Amino acid sequence: MPPSIHPFDLVAALRHKHLTPAIVFLTSRRACDDAMQAIQRSQVTLPPQRQHAISLVLKELSTQYPSIAEHPLLQTVERYGVAAHHAGHLPSWKIAIEELMRQGYLDAVFATTTLAAGVDFPARTVVLTQSSVRKTREFTDLTISEVQQLAGRAGRRGKDFVGFAIVTPSPYIDIDVITKGLTGHPEPIDSQFVIAYPMVLNLLKAHPLDHIQGILARSFAQFQLNRRAEALEAKQDAVHKQMEPYGPRVCTDWITQWQIFDLARKQKAQRAHIRRREPPELMARWQFLTPGRVVGLPKGRGVVLRQYRSRGERCPMVTVLRPGGHVTECPAAMITHLYDRTLEVEEAREFPWCTVDSLGHLIEELSELPTRIPNLPILVQEEAEETEITLTLNDEFPCPTCPSRLPCQKDHATALRLRQELQRHTKTIQAHRTGLWHRFQERTEVLQRYGYLTSTCHLTEDGEWARLIRIDPSLLITELIRTEAFSGIEPQILAGIMASIAHDDDRPGSFPRISHGLASLLGQVRKLAQSLAPHEDPPLLRADVAALAERWVGDTSLTWIRLCQTTTMAEGDIYRLLARNLEFLSQLHTLRATHPGLADTASRAIKALRRDVLEELP
Amino acid sequence: MTTDELEKLLTKLPVSQLHMLARGRIHRHFRLGKRRLVEALLGHVSVNRGGLESDLQALIQQSPPPSQESRPRQKPGSAPAGVGRAGNKQRAPSEAGHAEPAVPASDLSAFLDGIGVPPPQPLVPDAWQEEALGHLATTDVIVSVPTGSGKTYVAIEAAKRAIEADRTVIYTSPLKALSNTKFTELSKLFGADQVGILTGDRRDNPHAPLLIMTTEILRNLLYDAASGEIDVRLDTLGLVIMDESQYIADPERGVVWEETIIFCPAQARLLLLSASIGNPQEIAAWLTSIRPTPCHLVQHHRRSVPLRAGYLHPNGKLAPLFRSVGIPHGHGALLHPETKRLFAQYEDATLPSR
Ligand SMILES: Nc1ncnc2c1ncn2[C@@H]1O[C@H](COP(=O)(O)OP(=O)(O)OP(=O)(O)O)[C@@H](O)[C@H]1O
Ligand SMILES: [Mg+2]
Repeated sequence: MPPSIHPFDLVAALRHKHLTPAIVFLTSRRACDDAMQAIQRSQVTLPPQRQHAISLVLKELSTQYPSIAEHPLLQTVERYGVAAHHAGHLPSWKIAIEELMRQGYLDAVFATTTLAAGVDFPARTVVLTQSSVRKTREFTDLTISEVQQLAGRAGRRGKDFVGFAIVTPSPYIDIDVITKGLTGHPEPIDSQFVIAYPMVLNLLKAHPLDHIQGILARSFAQFQLNRRAEALEAKQDAVHKQMEPYGPRVCTDWITQWQIFDLARKQKAQRAHIRRREPPELMARWQFLTPGRVVGLPKGRGVVLRQYRSRGERCPMVTVLRPGGHVTECPAAMITHLYDRTLEVEEAREFPWCTVDSLGHLIEELSELPTRIPNLPILVQEEAEETEITLTLNDEFPCPTCPSRLPCQKDHATALRLRQELQRHTKTIQAHRTGLWHRFQERTEVLQRYGYLTSTCHLTEDGEWARLIRIDPSLLITELIRTEAFSGIEPQILAGIMASIAHDDDRPGSFPRISHGLASLLGQVRKLAQSLAPHEDPPLLRADVAALAERWVGDTSLTWIRLCQTTTMAEGDIYRLLARNLEFLSQLHTLRATHPGLADTASRAIKALRRDVLEELP
Repeated sequence: MTTDELEKLLTKLPVSQLHMLARGRIHRHFRLGKRRLVEALLGHVSVNRGGLESDLQALIQQSPPPSQESRPRQKPGSAPAGVGRAGNKQRAPSEAGHAEPAVPASDLSAFLDGIGVPPPQPLVPDAWQEEALGHLATTDVIVSVPTGSGKTYVAIEAAKRAIEADRTVIYTSPLKALSNTKFTELSKLFGADQVGILTGDRRDNPHAPLLIMTTEILRNLLYDAASGEIDVRLDTLGLVIMDESQYIADPERGVVWEETIIFCPAQARLLLLSASIGNPQEIAAWLTSIRPTPCHLVQHHRRSVPLRAGYLHPNGKLAPLFRSVGIPHGHGALLHPETKRLFAQYEDATLPSR
């Protein structure tokens, strides 16, 4: 048995059962093109009247879109009544196929699933041959919404009594995904709100800083976060109830007291078995130097952010946050005091080893600590039996002889778990309520560093024009302008650079020749993009697409067909590249008040760019 | 556990769980159908039997017992021996062991019955279309209905009414291609002088009462308006139509929909058109919380043209996909017996030879 039905048999079966017109979704552009070739080889053509009807529609359309008349697949579509529709085609060709489909002249269209939302493209039947799609390099199962969007194209109102979604097996199908998609309830959608630099600049242009938090609060993102926070608050109330039996005992904070006592006890017991190189005193402290611990140093205090061992000597080290926000590395041996106080730290895996939120809180809390904090009692002893330990600990802790010892021992695990749960909820609620605002602040800090915002969050002279650049990667583009990388360059070089910035597709293409000027400027752009990487994802900056745009803008006698012949990129991809480039260049053009030279170069590039097929659509 | 027992257990797992097991064990497992997954997992036994078995046990113990109604009648003794308490906690086998339901499965002729073209009829608006238009006079409206229902009709009627009242209308779509189609369509309907289009690099007729643009362009206009520099009149704006607004969930572009809605002038009505989404109530609640008037939600799941699902075998044989003619809703939909048989045959035949 073949791994999947032959495209010709598929179309024949659909025709036979009156299931045409149909949209056949295939996994790749390649598969669509191969299917078209298979149809061509079959030599089963449409009756002449139908061929004629198709050719009339195409002729009519080609007065508006001349490129249609030159399309290599024109005759195939006319003769066989079958077409392919995917992102490798020019928009004009896709419009033609859509129009033919709307008028009901085609029997089948092979399409990729990129034809998802928004294209008016209905049919009687939809054929599904796959259950997963490629999304940024990985295959993921179709969601219920996606299956329903695809299948939902079947059954045209006013033209069909009934529509069909037909599944046909292939190596790419899991039938369960499809049936679940057809019968299930679509997934709820989640906000994808991100705070980008242009958003920050434009908000601060129009609104004072103290209004911003209120504006961000109007987002769907915050709406959803609030709902989650409210759900957590309800949980928190429930945990508070459960905590009731574990209120103050002989000591007010008996949970912490017992925890430390318990830790000390365990640690001592362990010490009996382990030999170390470090002095026992240091090792005793080491256990307590966990993130959040307040410590005393020869000069002032600090709070531990991380505990680690140095690379070479493997000395015990800690990273300490000092008042005022300095983060220092120091050997654990240097710590003079261990205080009986810990602060909440939301740990992170890289410098500064905690989240920015949490860093802010810590700095504040550090400055507010009372002058006198009790020391943490730590016992240093080499060998000891459990009872002995407990006895010696009696000097430091009230626990061993406390009347509440037994209840504390019994309840401690539960109480601690509940308390930790509460703390976790508090942290998450905090994060939900203030997260967007903190991300906004992170952005303002970067914009301040690069001179687009003043320290009071007003737009600087550079910020005033930079806010007009509203495309990604905005920081790279504005930095290029600010550092005058574009001054005095030719339109085709500008177009080349903008093309490499605009193009985010990793589908390989080939184009060997690139001018020296463009290549060296591209190198400069790469370096800048790399230096901005902590603040903005660098674009691919492909040289081949840069060269392609350079060629098209630089040589206005070049025809579209000739341009396409110089690369392996599909013409639809070239079109999208140049169309996007047009948009990017128009953004540069909006800077004419402040950067007349650049705006002029951009408008010359736009003029040269917009010709041939790029003139067909607005 | 013997290999036979393992195989039995594996075949009783739903495919999603097989994929969970296959993760990191079998290259490109997402490409495999159920039978082939089971085969591949059995083939993996020689690499690390213990790991697979313990993961499998964990999976079986995690999954909840099948609910009362959907539990198939367990044939006595059909639980594989030697799996202990896990044995009676497995999921309902999806392939075998079903007692066939009383209602007979539909046959192909019933499935294909009624294909054809309805006679032309004057367009009578549906109740939900009227409902949306009615509410739009006073509030924002979200329409969440299946694909192909006739959302465009609502958009066009609403635009007509707004233009008659001397208000500007903006129609946004996520794609330039769709903007173009709509521009052509609406220019025919309203007259070329009444419709304008704005793209990143071009403005045709930007002072027309009905403007078409992508959502990004509108967002930019609103930012320009906020800082007081603008060449399109927003003070007369009466209606903003956002087509395909399920794009608010797009990872890259979704934020633009939020910005546009946040900054949409208070005097303009918002009309959000979307295909079926899971939580339109939540979006309506959000709009209600930030807009001057409470948002009205128009929602239904009925398809205006009924949809049926079929299975086409590689040899050209067609069968209904489900036991019923129409597409059932909810979990545990039963495959048509013929489709079940054909698909099993397909998986057998295309199995890599061992
Ligand atoms: N009340 C009606 N009665 C009959 N036909 C209608 C009615 N309303 C709309 N239609 C027709 O339904 C068809 C589909 O409508 P439309 O394109 O607006 O769907 P849609 O809901 O926008 O779908 P999509 O989600 O695919 O964008 C059109 O051909 C339209 O003429
Ligand atoms: Mg629509």
